Amino acid sequence: MAKLKIRRNPTRRYEAVYIFDSALEDTTIAEKLEKLQALLNLAEPAEIEHWGRRQLAYKIGRHESGYYIISHFTTAPSTLPEFERALKLDEGVVRYLVTLYEHELGAPKLSDEELASRRRASDDDDDDEE
Amino acid sequence: MRRQKKPCPITEAGIRYVDYKDDRLLGRFITDYGKILPSRLSGVDARHQRQLSKAVKKARYLALLPYVKGQTS
Repeated sequence: MAKLKIRRNPTRRYEAVYIFDSALEDTTIAEKLEKLQALLNLAEPAEIEHWGRRQLAYKIGRHESGYYIISHFTTAPSTLPEFERALKLDEGVVRYLVTLYEHELGAPKLSDEELASRRRASDDDDDDEE
Repeated sequence: MRRQKKPCPITEAGIRYVDYKDDRLLGRFITDYGKILPSRLSGVDARHQRQLSKAVKKARYLALLPYVKGQTS
């Protein structure tokens, strides 16, 4: 049953989270990010959000903190293996996660503003009504 | 007598899709040791509990949440 293979539009929307070595300079990180994203042959530039340096919940090797970057892009699935290979080889990337970003299929996506505002809101009302 | 069902806290918050990057939200649904809270305790509805468990696992991989909390290493 190859019905899934027939797609009129062979690109999909992805979300990638990169955790870079926090010891790297910001400019080095930006350079690396650009190089990696260039592998995707994006038709339109990816939306990139920098979370910046953040404490890791547990140690990863010798790392205790990481530089988080979130990126959204649309690309053909065939570009991903090469992209992920480069990510694995890059010593500056502590960890990464590429996921499908097609929330509209089931539910509307959460915009970054919503996410940010909820972060702020949960700061002051941590105790929910139980 | 059946106990009254708690309203789903995630539905109540108006969240349609549980995001794995929202570690503050996810943090409310894990135990002190970092385990995922069962929905019978949290009152989360089945659809959101499924999303939640996947989200927690992704968040753990990204070191946003610990696999085991309260460990001194």
